[in-house]
Amino acid sequence: MAFEQIVFYAFSAVLVFSAGVVITVRNPVHAALFLVLCFFSTAGLWLLLRAEFLAIALVLVYVGAVMVLFLFVVMMLDINIAVVRQGFARYLAVGGVVAILLIAVMAMVVGGDYFGLERTPVPEPIGEVSNTRLLGLQLYTDYVYPFEIASVILLVAIIAAIALTLRRRPDSRYQEPGRQVEVRRGDRVRLVSMKSEERR
Amino acid sequence: MLENYLPILIFIVVGVIVGGAMMAFGFILGPHRPDTAKLSPYECGFEAFEDSRMKFDVRFYLVAILFIIFDLEIAFLFPWAIVLKDIGLFGFSAMMLFLGILVIGFIYEWKKGALQWE
Amino acid sequence: MTEFLQTIFIGWGLPESLAIGLTILLQIALILGVLFAAVAYLTLAERKVIGYMQVRVGPNRVGPRGLLQPIADALKLMFKEIIIPAGADKKLFLIAPVLAMAPSLAAWAVLPVADGWVLADINAGLLYVLAITSMGVYGVIVAGWASNSKYAFLGAMRSAAQIVSYEIAMGFALVGVLMAAGSLNFGQIVASQQGEYGLFSWFWLPLLPLFVIYFVSGVAETNRAPFDVAEGESEIVAGFHVEYSGMAFAVFFLGEYANMILISALAALLFLGGWLSPFQGWTDSWLGQSSIIWMLIKTSFFLFLYLWFRATFPRYRYDQIMRLGWKVFIPITIVWIVVVGGLVMGEIGPWFAAA
Repeated sequence: MAFEQIVFYAFSAVLVFSAGVVITVRNPVHAALFLVLCFFSTAGLWLLLRAEFLAIALVLVYVGAVMVLFLFVVMMLDINIAVVRQGFARYLAVGGVVAILLIAVMAMVVGGDYFGLERTPVPEPIGEVSNTRLLGLQLYTDYVYPFEIASVILLVAIIAAIALTLRRRPDSRYQEPGRQVEVRRGDRVRLVSMKSEERR
Repeated sequence: MLENYLPILIFIVVGVIVGGAMMAFGFILGPHRPDTAKLSPYECGFEAFEDSRMKFDVRFYLVAILFIIFDLEIAFLFPWAIVLKDIGLFGFSAMMLFLGILVIGFIYEWKKGALQWE
Repeated sequence: MTEFLQTIFIGWGLPESLAIGLTILLQIALILGVLFAAVAYLTLAERKVIGYMQVRVGPNRVGPRGLLQPIADALKLMFKEIIIPAGADKKLFLIAPVLAMAPSLAAWAVLPVADGWVLADINAGLLYVLAITSMGVYGVIVAGWASNSKYAFLGAMRSAAQIVSYEIAMGFALVGVLMAAGSLNFGQIVASQQGEYGLFSWFWLPLLPLFVIYFVSGVAETNRAPFDVAEGESEIVAGFHVEYSGMAFAVFFLGEYANMILISALAALLFLGGWLSPFQGWTDSWLGQSSIIWMLIKTSFFLFLYLWFRATFPRYRYDQIMRLGWKVFIPITIVWIVVVGGLVMGEIGPWFAAA
């Protein structure tokens, strides 16, 4: 057990440290990469809780996909830090109040009243069962309704993404492979029969 | 279960260390004779005339967003695939409905030309 | 082997935790040693094979028949200067190659090479491989951005978009395998391909479209010809690693080749029955026995395909690559997942017959 705790504290330390760096470092690309480290150590913590599938899915979805988009955006937007920092002093008061309120709300919800250790009994260890399998057995039968809602949300996301980012450029030209395949010789080549010229 | 993950953790750490060690070796063994021409970014012999971190076609963002959505879809398909034999026809049709809704989205993006590259 | 090593270490008077740690480290060293040797000789094989395909002999000066060539290359790269370009983000520039290589090594932790020969036999093996290989894209993006060079940045963005596009097709193809096998564990996936029809019991036959798509996506994923626009010499010099030299370049190179071997080994495990013999059920002699040799033969076959593709196919254009990934592969995989679903539900034999 002792070793497990060492690993837990190691992951937690990395998590807290990198989360701190994410919000303090100047360069947005560095911040995004530290966020990746955050997710990675979170996955480690989840794994310690035996949430095998969730931990790996976190790496797959957040590290492998979401953060790639973040990196794309911060790399290409070229955020000018000086401009962003301009209004810092002016907004400090309002921002500070909002931050304190948020922290208070979070403390109320995440505090011992709702999430305390005595709130929920410690689950019985289930032994060597693949928890991906158990998740599957539940998700597609007992929780089928939320599952279908998830697909509708994803559909909305697809449509929203296209509506927000798709801009057609008037000058771009496309190839249509379907039409290329359908082309017959007759469309392109015309055989003309001509009399040969008389030799002078 | 956790004892199976211990080798993986060690392997990841070793992988990073091996990579770092190889880079360090290169630094120790290789020469260091920098000069301006050598250190300038490669542009076929021209001087660099603008910042290389430029604005990009918005299409790359779209690919990344669509990738997230489909990646989530795969994450949903994985547990389903391994229990397919146990959840029977009900689970099968649940996933078919899920896939059907997402195929609508896929057809939409196809028709909108979001998958078109010039 | 694990218990054997552990008992030896405990016999030396070491405490149990240390014995376990040492055993794991030794096994990792063994895997990495074999892997590095394989990478080194894959580079030689590549040059030889392509050489003969182009009616040349390939490298033949260093050592007998050029056999020492990879070692000479490694030594040369080691003694070259690592140039850090003036405008580069120094830290990220140096971290990028490690980010590219570490995932392709770490994925080997769960890959079995024969029955029970695996370092970490986890339940979610395939999911782990998919997750860890999706980290490889960071090396590419970070390298391109940190170099502060236009070619590098362009190459990085192109190849990142390409890698993520093909990862979807690959993921869908893997879902087909999972449906057929009913498990994420590699040992069980191979075991479920066992049958009395030899090589026709393997998954490549019922999953043929997924098998082809998996391997082609694998080629695209590793940025190899004919999908190597990321480093199209004629367009953007060498892509994301233009600015890298010496060992820094070698680390990228190693990661790429380790990834090729990984994809080949995965293809062998998932679709060609891993260490099962193709003659299983037909003969009881040694030919019908499953062994690591079959696994090696199958993996080498896919590696040869990699080289063969490179020697024969012209490079795709970028819009064609994206079209192939999104408009051809993804629809086919979705349709075939439904088909496989039907086959599994209907328990169509010999692959899906109720056990």
